[in-house]
This record gives sequence, C-alpha cells and structure tokens, in this order.
Amino acid sequence: MILIDAGERNDHTFDSVLVFASQLAAQGYSVGIDERTLPDTLDRHQKYEVAPYLVDVTGIAVTRFLLIGAETISEQTLRMLRSYDFTSVTPVSAIGRFTDHQALVSAQSKIAYVLGREPDVVDLRKLQKKPLLPSAISPLVAGKAAGVRPADHTPPQLFVFLPTEMLEDTQSLSLLGSLDNVRGYRLNLVLAGKGKEQIKDSRFAHLSAFAATEFSPSTFAKMADIAVFFGEDVPGERMAAFALEMLQADKVVIDCTRSEAFVACGAPVLRGPDELGSLANYLVDTVITNVEEISHFVANSRWLDGYRLAGLEHALGLAPQREPLAQAAPARTIFLPTNGVGLGHAQRCALIASAMPRPGDYVFAAFPSCFPLIEGKGFSCLPLVQKSPYHPEVYANDLINYLRLQRAVRTGDRLIFDGGYVFDSIYRVVFEKQLSAIWIRRGLWQASQSNAVTLDREKAFEKVIVPNEAFDELNSEHGYGHKIYHIGPVVQESATDADDGLKLRDRLKAHLGHPFDQLAVTMLGSGVAADRSAQMQTLTNIYERRKNCLHLILIWPGAIVPTGVFGWKNTRVVQTMNALELCKAADLVVTAVGYNSFHEILYHQIPAILVPQMAAFMDDQDRRARAASERGLAETVLATEMLLLEREVMAFLDSGKAGRIRANLAAHVLPPRGNHLAATLIDGGGRA
Amino acid sequence: MRSPASVAYLVDPRFPGGTSSAVAFELRECTKLGHVSVHAIESQMFSARTVAPQLAETLSALGLELIWDSRTISADVVILHNPTFLKFQATLESRILARHLIVVAHENFLRPGAAESFDVNRCLNQIDRASLALRKTIAPISKVNRKTVLDWLKGNNLRGNWAVLESDWFNICAFPMIAPNTTPADRRGRHSRPGFEKFPNLADMDLCFPAHAEANVILGADHYLADRLRRPHWSMHPFQSFEVPAFFGMIDFMVYFTAPTWRESFGRVLAEAIAAGKVVISDPQTAATFDGGVVAGTPAQVDEIISGFIADPKSYHMHVAAAQAKLSPFSAQAFRAHLSRILTQAIGATA
Repeated sequence: MILIDAGERNDHTFDSVLVFASQLAAQGYSVGIDERTLPDTLDRHQKYEVAPYLVDVTGIAVTRFLLIGAETISEQTLRMLRSYDFTSVTPVSAIGRFTDHQALVSAQSKIAYVLGREPDVVDLRKLQKKPLLPSAISPLVAGKAAGVRPADHTPPQLFVFLPTEMLEDTQSLSLLGSLDNVRGYRLNLVLAGKGKEQIKDSRFAHLSAFAATEFSPSTFAKMADIAVFFGEDVPGERMAAFALEMLQADKVVIDCTRSEAFVACGAPVLRGPDELGSLANYLVDTVITNVEEISHFVANSRWLDGYRLAGLEHALGLAPQREPLAQAAPARTIFLPTNGVGLGHAQRCALIASAMPRPGDYVFAAFPSCFPLIEGKGFSCLPLVQKSPYHPEVYANDLINYLRLQRAVRTGDRLIFDGGYVFDSIYRVVFEKQLSAIWIRRGLWQASQSNAVTLDREKAFEKVIVPNEAFDELNSEHGYGHKIYHIGPVVQESATDADDGLKLRDRLKAHLGHPFDQLAVTMLGSGVAADRSAQMQTLTNIYERRKNCLHLILIWPGAIVPTGVFGWKNTRVVQTMNALELCKAADLVVTAVGYNSFHEILYHQIPAILVPQMAAFMDDQDRRARAASERGLAETVLATEMLLLEREVMAFLDSGKAGRIRANLAAHVLPPRGNHLAATLIDGGGRA
Repeated sequence: MRSPASVAYLVDPRFPGGTSSAVAFELRECTKLGHVSVHAIESQMFSARTVAPQLAETLSALGLELIWDSRTISADVVILHNPTFLKFQATLESRILARHLIVVAHENFLRPGAAESFDVNRCLNQIDRASLALRKTIAPISKVNRKTVLDWLKGNNLRGNWAVLESDWFNICAFPMIAPNTTPADRRGRHSRPGFEKFPNLADMDLCFPAHAEANVILGADHYLADRLRRPHWSMHPFQSFEVPAFFGMIDFMVYFTAPTWRESFGRVLAEAIAAGKVVISDPQTAATFDGGVVAGTPAQVDEIISGFIADPKSYHMHVAAAQAKLSPFSAQAFRAHLSRILTQAIGATA
C-alpha cells in the first residue's frame, strides 16, 4: 500500500492528499491515508471520499510513502514520519514544487533527519514547465486510462464549472435555464461553495447540479465529455485535476476564465466565451460538431506530457498499475432494496428479480431485516449495515455500506435500487463505478414531502421505474420526465385457491390446538412508523370475546411486539414470511396500507379494514386507503377511531360485510401487474 | 611600526546556538589583536531582530557596536561566519572590500552520504558577487568539516577563485575544567537542541538509555514530549528548561549520537561535557575532532563502554583528564596564535 501525506497539516493540504489518493486509486494503486492525519472537521463529501483510503497504519504493509507539498514540512508531519519506523527498503519520496534548490535541499534534509536515510525527491517544476496551478499541493497528474469515455454518453455530457459570484448575478440562473434547453448535449453544473443549494432553492431546481467537492476529479472526468470552466482563474486544485483528467482522456476542455488561465499556460484547451449567454451557440456550432478533431488536437499535446501520471511514475520508480482496471468478468446485476419501515422494498425487488429471465444470475445487497425474505426466495445477499442511534453520526452506517458496495461492485455492473431516498453510498458508487443504475421508485408521495433532495439524485439513474398504484388518481408524475417508466402494480402472485385456504385453516387448528370458525389477521406494522399497540390491544380484546375465533397478529423479523398482546387465548403472535397465504385464508384482515399489503389485499380479493400509518418519511397511506374504501373494496378506519374499529370488525364478521367486499373485489377490474414489465425494462427492453 | 590589522566581522547575529557562541568567544580574542568592527546582516533566515544573548553580552562587555546592514564593509580581513544565513535569499546587499575575506564554514557542506546540507553555491556566490578581495578562503572548523568542504568542491563548480584555508578555524573551548566524579555511576544523559537531526532513531536511543541505567536524562526532548513518548526510565526535559551545569550535575556519561544523516561539524556540546568532567561517547566521525577525547562507539556498544568505566573508576578519571588535555588545541591562546598568523599574512600582502 502506498501511504500518502502532505508536508503541512491543514484543510487545504488534506484535500490535496485526497485528490491525489483518488487519482492513484483510479489507476489501480492501493492507496492509504493515515487516519491520524484527518483534520478536525470534514464535510460530508470528504468523509465518503476519504473512507476507502483511511488506514490504521499498525499492521499495514506500507510499500511506499509519498509526501506531497514537500516544499513546506511541518514538525507534526515529521514527527509522524519518524513514528512509522519504516524499514530501510520502504521507499520514501518527497514531491513538491520547490521554488529553488535550497527549498529542495531543506525538504530533503528534514526528511532525511527523521528517516535516518535519504528520501527520493521529485521537483514538479522540472516536470511541469508551465504550471497550471503553481500553488497546488497535489502533483496534478492524470493517467491515460482514468477517464476513458463510456460509449453511451449520447448526447454528450456537458459539465460547466461556475464560481459562486457568477450565481449571484440574477441573470445567470435564467441563462442556465436556457442553456439546459439546448439540444445536442446534457447540461450539468459543477458549483463552488453553496452554489448547489442556491440552485436547488431556486425555480431552476431541475438543473443537474453538483458541488465541486461532491466527487473526486477522476469521477467527474468519467462522467463528463466536455468540461467548461468559468471564473477569474483556474478554480482550485480539484477543478484543475478535473480538467487534467479530461485532457488525459483526450476530452474537450473549454477555458472561459477571464484570465484565459488554461490557455495561458499552454494547456490544449479551447478558448471559449467568458459570458454564459454566448456559450450555447459556441458549443453547438463550434465544439460539438468538431469533437473528434478537438480530441485529436488534445491527444497530440506535448504540454500534457508534464502532467501524465507516467512521468511521475517514472520519476518515482513506480511500477504502473493499470492492469487491475481491466474487467474480464461479465457485468452483474445487484438488487439493493432500502430497509424502510418494513419489507416492502425487499419484497418488490424479490418479485421483480424472480420475474427476470435468469434469476440465478442476480444478487442482493440488503439490510439484515430483509435477509430471510430475500434468501427465502433463493437469492444470495451482501449484508448492509442498519442505521443505529448508537452510531456517532446519522450516516455512519451508510459510510460502511459505501465501502462494502465499492468493494463488491465492478465498473459496468448493473444496480437496481428500490427505495425513496437514494443514500450517498448508492449515489456515489453509481457514478464512481459507472454503473448502469435503475431506480424502482413507487409514487404516492405525501403532498408536504420535500422532493428536491430526492429528485436531485435521479440523475444517477438511467431509468426510473415507477410501479403504479391500482387507482389512477393515486398516480402522479414526479421527477423530470425523460427517464421515467410507469408500470402496473408489482404484486405478489399466488397459485393457491379457496381449497388451499381451507386446508391451511385446518393445519392451523391442528398446529395451534385451537379450533375456530373465524380467522382474523392483523398486520399493523413493526412499530417503527407508528405505535399501534393500542389498536392491537383493542383487536385482541374484540376477538377474545368472540367464540370460535382465532386471531393471528403477523409480524416480521425484528418487529416490535407490544407485550399486551400476549397471553390471550384467542390471539397468537406469528412471525412469518408467508403473510399472503394466511391473509387469503382469513375472514378479515386488519392491516396498515403499505404498497405491498394494499395491493395484495386488492389483487387477492381479501376483505380488509385499512388502518393508515402516516409518518413524514412515508407514502400517503391515507389517500391509498380511502381510494379503496370509496370504491367499496375495503373499509378505512383511522388509528384514533377505536369504537368504529369494533363496529367494523362486527360488520365484517357478523353482518356479511366481508362477503360483500370480497364480491366487490372480484367484480373490480384492476390494472395488469407490472412484475414482468419491470424485469423487461431492467433487462434492457421496454418503453417509457 | 605597522598599525594593527583591521578586522571586520560579518554575521547574522541571530543564530541561537553554536555560531553565536563561537563568534562571541572569538571576538574576545580578536580585539586583542586588531581593530575590530562587527557588522550584522539581517538575512531572510530569521524573522525577528533579536541578537543572540551570548553575543549581545560579549559585544557589550567589549564596548563594540553592532552595525546593521552596512552598505560597505571594508577591512584588512573580513570574517564572515556561517554563510548559511544567505541560503534563503538571492543577493547580499552589503559590499565587502578586504585583503583577505574568510568565510568560516560552521556547517558541513555535505551530510553523511554526500547529500548537500544547504545550497552552498547560492551562499558562496552571493558573497563572491558582493566582494572585492585579494584572497578569498573558506575556513573549515574541524577535520570532519574540512572533508565535507573539500568533497563538495570536488563535485561542484564554484565560481570566484576560492581557496580553502590550510588550518582549521576551530571553536574556542574556553570552558572551566571540572574534575570528574570520584565514584562514577551509570548516570547517562544527552543535551542538544531538540532538532530531529540531533537524535538517532528510537531503537538507538533505547540502546543508549536503557532501563537498567541509574539515570537517563534527556535535555532537549521536546519532540518526545510532544509525541507523549512513554519511557518511564527516561527523565525528559525541554530544551533550555534548566541550566546546562545543572544537567551535567545529573550525569557521569554524556552519550551523544545524532541522526545518521547529519553530523556535528565541530561538536561544541561534546567539548563542554568533557570540560565538565564527563566521559563522552559518540560515533567515530564525531569523536574524531577530539583526537581520542571522546570515546568512539556505536549505540550497541554504549553499555559495555559505560560498564567498563564504572568497574574501573580509575580509568574513568584518567580518560577525563586526558580528554580535557585534548581540548588545549581549542584554547583561546591557540586561537589567538592562529588568528595572528592570518592577520600577519593579510597585512603583508601587497595590494
């Protein structure tokens, strides 16, 4: 492992270390950053970016130590270097932009003192005669293989960097809005400071925007086909590295800086207009029509020689590590259901995966609560880490999941995510590994729900598959249109009939030693979204007073069960993965109104009382329940309506309401299931 | 009768350690031989204008004025001490006119392994461009220092007809001689500035200062203290946290090894320890300056050397006495003789 550090310890140099580490890692090098060198504060992007490289050096085999920014070396850095106690064969190299020979001699001497031997010293000024960013700490080199252009960027992905001050101009947003509507490219903004938040808070929230620190320069270069830089000067190390990664991949870079900063130092870039208003015509008329010729011009640049990783590798005596990037294995498909408050996402993914042409080829990455369901369907599973109040920060689990996903997926794999919020781990891995990603995203969002953050991450996905609700008024359009695919409800199939239901009831009587005439089932959730212990207690009490009745409270693994439901003679708490068959055999089901339960009730014609669960982060169960009850296909009882709940249970079981509902369900025509269309879309077919 | 030679000293008086001490001792002798002026250069090596206390004290005692940043420095002999103060700048603004310009090296030009210690060319070229002199010489301060100067000159193309002074420009070691402890014990210590170059690696430090020693006193252990190094059997103290004589009162053996990539050019701290009546142990190259007055060895041999002296206190006393006698070539009297020869040569030269 190559351990990287910087001469000085501050936020700037740490970010430079991060940029360099990610560039080396993108070339296949095993890279580490000593966890003790972390600054006191890191932003969220940095935490994700650094996580794959952080190491506790104890027990790590360091094959090489690289010190960047060696023109200034702090005592803190020297003390740490001394503490490593490297063997005499571990190469130690200092890389810097030394203003003169004395600066180089000083750096070399300081390291030699703590090391007890001489380090290698690389003076970047000799490699880079006309420096792009003289103040850079990072070596600013890029590998030829790093930014190879994926073949399917059609139309080309345009990435435009804008400094904060340009966004302060009120006209800029309108101009960006216009720029976004020009055909021939797909606009993405890369924004400094709080620029992204500013865009997302504006009426131009639909614009694809990234924070400049959101991804590594290597990742940005993989995503982009054309990069444009506005502002006064070269906008910092990250953007300089981004530009170099682009150029080393023979891609188009346009210098729109006021100082012509890129052009002035000899970089093989195009000089573009320094005003946003002129950019669209320039792109369409001059750039996009000549991309191949421009690429040829970039490829023949001698200026780039000083910025090639190969040059630094040669100076350091590093063996190029590009082979590991070659992907011999075929692309895989990974389903990743979020954990949510129940198993709905996992259930839906499993149903779709089962409908795929070769179910054995697909694997899952899922939270522990989903394991029994997924493995029960015959799929193998990579465990993800569940959120916990004991973690030091709310996304600590997601950082671990990010590392697991990063190691598990390969460039070009296919990722199918089912969930409402796209975790950072997923969002990052999709871009970093250039995954072919599909988002299964059910609708029926609450009116008050904030969509901006959720929809912002839609850009990571090639397709968004929206499993529709059974009733039209519940289906509405979210997102930005061009990649949304609506399909029929994804609902579990069941081959069992009424006779099978009777047999199941007989088995229950025998197994539980409890004869009954009426079977009632309650599924009121896991206690995560809402506390339903009072409702369960009420139902338990109602059924306790009935003769010849069996009441099953169905739960899934990990659910919170109120203690008050135990010890009743007519009630049993059942942990099961086969709720549907029990519901089909039941005379009445009282259930929450999640997507899966609701549609199973409808499609399997099960008489039910619907008790909506409402929480800020959930779908609109109230609307869903009322849509069914208004059609006479179920009854809706709110959680607070205990007396009504008792009356409805009696109506269903004693007054024939269950039969009438079942008849209505049988008569109602529901849209065809979407399970197979989802599978087809994932497999590359289908239409929007 | 010929009038005494004029001697101009050219220094950056802000060097905190050995350079300023050496100049201070030297001025006391030089004023007995010639007309002395002292010129201070405010180089870019230091930021504040704080004169080293030992130098300020001497100047005051001798009634000499410190002349800052003279436009022209003119004397029969101009002595520039420690040219490294020029390493962070491109030009020396003062003009030097002299019969003999002597640049006293102080620092080794090369480190062990032949890496350059500082940008020698840059420093000497600045002096060369700023001076008009009949003779320009580099004056090494010890055998070790001389070798690095000569080796550097062999490997580099230095402009300006520089010569190397035939005799070494040693540090004056005019310390009071103290008798050794009559019953030496295994009380070890070292004293230096806290710079990384002054310390060997930790494994060697552990060999030099083991748990079985009665005392291990490390004065100048600032970096170990900052690292919170756990060595319960070491008594670690920051540099200058107490007076050096008090430190010598705590030990019988001065064990002094440095980073293998750095070497003392003279070893004033070792001479000080010898004068204080201690047996001094160091690596063979550093020990060479003192012609047997410092016991040469490796960290692995330190235990054996010390136990030998403790087992035979007579040998301890004899060694200290012999070592103190070896300091006589570095006496004030010897320096006066050395300087007198230089001045005579300079005045005798025809312009």
